[in-house]
Amino acid sequence: MSGAALVAVITGEDVLQTAFSGIALGCKYALIALGFSIIFKATGVINFAQGGFVLIGAYFTYNVTQTWEQNFYLSVVLAMAGGALLGVLVEMLVLRRLVNESPVTVIMVTIGILFVIDNVTTAIWGPDNRNLGDPWGIRTRELAGVSVALRDMWTIAFAAAVLAAFFVFFRYSALGLAMRATAIDPEAAMAQGIPARRVHRVSWAIAGAVAALAGAALASGAGQLSPATGALALAAFPAIILGGLDSPLGAVVGGLIIGVVQQMTALFAPEHFAWVGNSFELVSPYLVMIVILLIRPYGLFGTREVRRA
Amino acid sequence: MTATLTHPFRRGGPAPEQVLSYADDIRLLRGPRRSPWRWIFLAAAAALYWFLPTYYVGDAGLRTLAMCGIFAIGAIGLNLLIGYTGQVSLGHAFFVGAGAYTAAYFGGERGWPMPAYLALAVLIGFVVGGVIGPFALRLRGNYLVIVTLGLVFLGEHLWTNWESVTGGGNGVSLREAPMALGPLDFATGIEIGGEAYTFEQSFFWLVWALVAVVALLAKNLVRTRPGRAMQAVRDRDLSAEVIGVSLARYKVGAFAWSSAYAALAGALYGLLQQYISPLEFGLLLSITYLAMIIIGGLGTIFGSVLGALFVWGGRSMIEQNSSQAIFDPLIDTGTGDSGLFTVGEFNNVLFGLAIVLFLLFEPRGLAAFWLRIKTWFLTWPFSY
Amino acid sequence: MKHRRWLRPLTLLLVASLAASACGGGRDDDDDDASGDGDDGGELATGPGFDGETIRLGVVTPTSGPVAIIGNPLTAGNEAYWEYVNEELGGVAGQYPVELVIEDSAYDPPTAVQKYNEIKGDVVMFNQLLGTPIVNAVLEQLNGDGIVAQPATLDAFWVREPNLIPIGAPYQIQAINGIDWYVNEGGGEGSTICALLQDDPYGEAGREGIDFALENLGLELGVAATFPVGNPDFTSQISQLQGADCDAVWLTSTPTDTGTALGKAAELGFTPQWLGQSPSWIGALGESALGPYLQENYLWISEGPEYGDESVEGMAELVRIQETYSEQEPDIYFNFGYNEAKAVHQVLEQAVEMGDLSREGILAALESIEEFSYDGLLGDYGWGAAEDRDPPRANSIFKPNPDEPIGLELVLESHEAPYAADFEFGG
Repeated sequence: MSGAALVAVITGEDVLQTAFSGIALGCKYALIALGFSIIFKATGVINFAQGGFVLIGAYFTYNVTQTWEQNFYLSVVLAMAGGALLGVLVEMLVLRRLVNESPVTVIMVTIGILFVIDNVTTAIWGPDNRNLGDPWGIRTRELAGVSVALRDMWTIAFAAAVLAAFFVFFRYSALGLAMRATAIDPEAAMAQGIPARRVHRVSWAIAGAVAALAGAALASGAGQLSPATGALALAAFPAIILGGLDSPLGAVVGGLIIGVVQQMTALFAPEHFAWVGNSFELVSPYLVMIVILLIRPYGLFGTREVRRA
Repeated sequence: MTATLTHPFRRGGPAPEQVLSYADDIRLLRGPRRSPWRWIFLAAAAALYWFLPTYYVGDAGLRTLAMCGIFAIGAIGLNLLIGYTGQVSLGHAFFVGAGAYTAAYFGGERGWPMPAYLALAVLIGFVVGGVIGPFALRLRGNYLVIVTLGLVFLGEHLWTNWESVTGGGNGVSLREAPMALGPLDFATGIEIGGEAYTFEQSFFWLVWALVAVVALLAKNLVRTRPGRAMQAVRDRDLSAEVIGVSLARYKVGAFAWSSAYAALAGALYGLLQQYISPLEFGLLLSITYLAMIIIGGLGTIFGSVLGALFVWGGRSMIEQNSSQAIFDPLIDTGTGDSGLFTVGEFNNVLFGLAIVLFLLFEPRGLAAFWLRIKTWFLTWPFSY
Repeated sequence: MKHRRWLRPLTLLLVASLAASACGGGRDDDDDDASGDGDDGGELATGPGFDGETIRLGVVTPTSGPVAIIGNPLTAGNEAYWEYVNEELGGVAGQYPVELVIEDSAYDPPTAVQKYNEIKGDVVMFNQLLGTPIVNAVLEQLNGDGIVAQPATLDAFWVREPNLIPIGAPYQIQAINGIDWYVNEGGGEGSTICALLQDDPYGEAGREGIDFALENLGLELGVAATFPVGNPDFTSQISQLQGADCDAVWLTSTPTDTGTALGKAAELGFTPQWLGQSPSWIGALGESALGPYLQENYLWISEGPEYGDESVEGMAELVRIQETYSEQEPDIYFNFGYNEAKAVHQVLEQAVEMGDLSREGILAALESIEEFSYDGLLGDYGWGAAEDRDPPRANSIFKPNPDEPIGLELVLESHEAPYAADFEFGG
């Protein structure tokens, strides 16, 4: 398509700037993927409705800060509480009844929930593009020759904070320990008196809260809150698979890899690999994922499943 | 099914559903021997097949039913893969697209006769499925799901960028695709015994005849040796391998067959729509297919057909009736009633709820309802 | 007990046929039965969708999903206009009220084709088919059925389609006029022109116009960066544009992507003159933190006068009708829908005059029209047989201004590049 156009020279600065944007994008993926991984770790469920949680979390934030005119950060915290509540609700009403079901059952149930959440959200708030009302605007900082958006810095900080919180939680809290035990061997854990049900519920609550945080990060900026806000969750799948479904660290590393791969593809493919077609960055994450999975079928940090005949 | 020892119609002899020999076990049509039922059903089906298009349903309705039939074909294929072999795939839309574009290129562009390009679509589906299949040997469960999800995105990229064949983002027309089968030209509507029928009537007959053929083939596959091997793989693949079932053969085979079915569905879809573009073969289509086999009943051929009718037919039924008073508080049709949802949103919510509720309360799907009804009648007057 | 054995199959057949008839809703929409047979409508020939009293028009538009943001206001424009015709003029030709049959396409081609077929037997023509993929999906059948429809998109494909009534200057013309204006009058002489385009036919349409304008201006395109819909981060695209030292960038996008792309440009300190194809704008952008940047760097290329400029006859009427008959907030898509209905109104008046509201009659009426006029809201559209149709060739330039009703202030009305008339629309 750009046959007649001049070739723009890609400079080192461009590469650096793009790499940074890949990291920022990767942290968005990581925020979504962290929500996936905690549910998977605790319950073995791969939650397709996570994108719906992200969407409704963003609208919660919008509602508190724009309609009720509260402070933005307070709104994010309240939206996280709302997201946690929604997660618990979904667990109690639906997933609780489907423990140990086959993957297809669980996946389809979460897809069904996604349809309900998405459409109820649109019915309530309408299809319009809206401004979330974040205080970050378009401000930037200069860092090592790279111009860094305040918005992206917050996203990175959110992802880092959640990862750190997960680490502390799994390492030092009794419930986190219980969750790890349940993940390794549910029956043995139950025999030890670990309340599996509470473990499940808490994991859904955490995922809902993290999703709301991701929603606030994704919907910030000009006119970015719309029914399509949660769609990025689909693009986060290569990240969670790449890292290994049950590993929070894997979620972050996978997110970063996918973010950088995607941005670098967008930078280099039009000039140097035009034959791959337009917008190859949409599929390059999946190709990377497939290659890595063929080498390591349980991702980079995932736990190898023990198979018994 | 709960067995009753005596049948109301007969004295002595074995119970109607009792399996006495291997031949009984693999019979195509289960049910009481020497019963008139199967003939009654066949007659009823034949009557519906003939009289629905000629007396009861208008052209728009026939289109909906033809679309249901097309979905049924694809759903049977997906059920072979998921319901019988246990390999969960979100990539079905990719194979459907492969079939549709085969029909568009060889039928619409090159003017091949219909049997040729339909056969080629099936063949291409089979081969592409066979190429994708080996991934299932290396990856299991959720990991396989996401890889097949990637297949959908790869497909959309391919359909959009391979412009010489697919027409790119602009899409491609199948208007010129020949649709003649001997003396019967479906494109203009067939003529039987001097009577001319519309395109919709003709196409309905074509699609549902293919549904019958395809369902029979699938039934034959699953009731014989390969079918039992597939189910062994589904239930526990390691054990199956230990007792000598070749995982490579059956996993890859299931992918190949399922995508051959999908490709046939795609080709027919192209012929019905007469125009296709890349975005139609996205994730939503895969999800729709999955929902059909779940609502219809995993691991049943009949359920796949029921699921297709329920999901696609149900949508259009709600849409046609959306302005009725009972929906007023829920649906806003833009005619002054202030419902919460638009029709499309309401339908999507129902679609989601249907999936959730079926999985929670009737995981065996509509097919189980059917079985229950059948049992009730068979065990009458001792049914409860 | 014996007789029951016979009853059961009968009952089953009965149930089955009942279910079937409930599904199909009866064989009542046979569409060829009523054509050209004026039994109770005086001398006016009736047809599907017209029973001699009420004229029914089809609307297939997304009322759910993301594109409902365009579909809803557009349909509100259709509705308000017909409400006005029914209330104040007594209907078409003063005696035939108009009724809309609205169906949700969900912006999904198979759904849209199904909806089209469900209602085609009940309508005389389609007042709205929204979206290029939807029109493409329906077009083959539309031509086969001989039905006239209005495509609610500014793509140029429709200009030579005998059964379609496109309105307004197509995207290609927008790009030609926008770039010509910028180079010759907007202070862009000797500058590097670039493009940021969606990676699909919508982007291609912009590209065709850009290439045509640059060829006539004797300029070369700086660089054309592309992106997929919903692109989460535009750093690499903005880097490409920045690297080519672009002074102006033609932008073919939809609002969400406009926000992401220009947000990233602002963050990276990239401040070219953005020239936005009409669907790239939405009011929320002007109210966001990006507002000041947009006021400084973004221009919107569209058609017609400023919203609410009552000195234009058509605009005064639009504002009055909108306030009287609609709850819709001022919106660019409302205007589009309003203009669509205006065009259809002309066709229907013509068809009534010619005494035939059947499908053939409407097609004949459409061909006999020489020009579609929009009372200054849009450029007049030269009409006739498909090969003679001539879209308007002038566009207006707007800039964001939060004080205006739809957030846009007129910079220049009706700029027409001298060579815009030379652009040929394919057949």
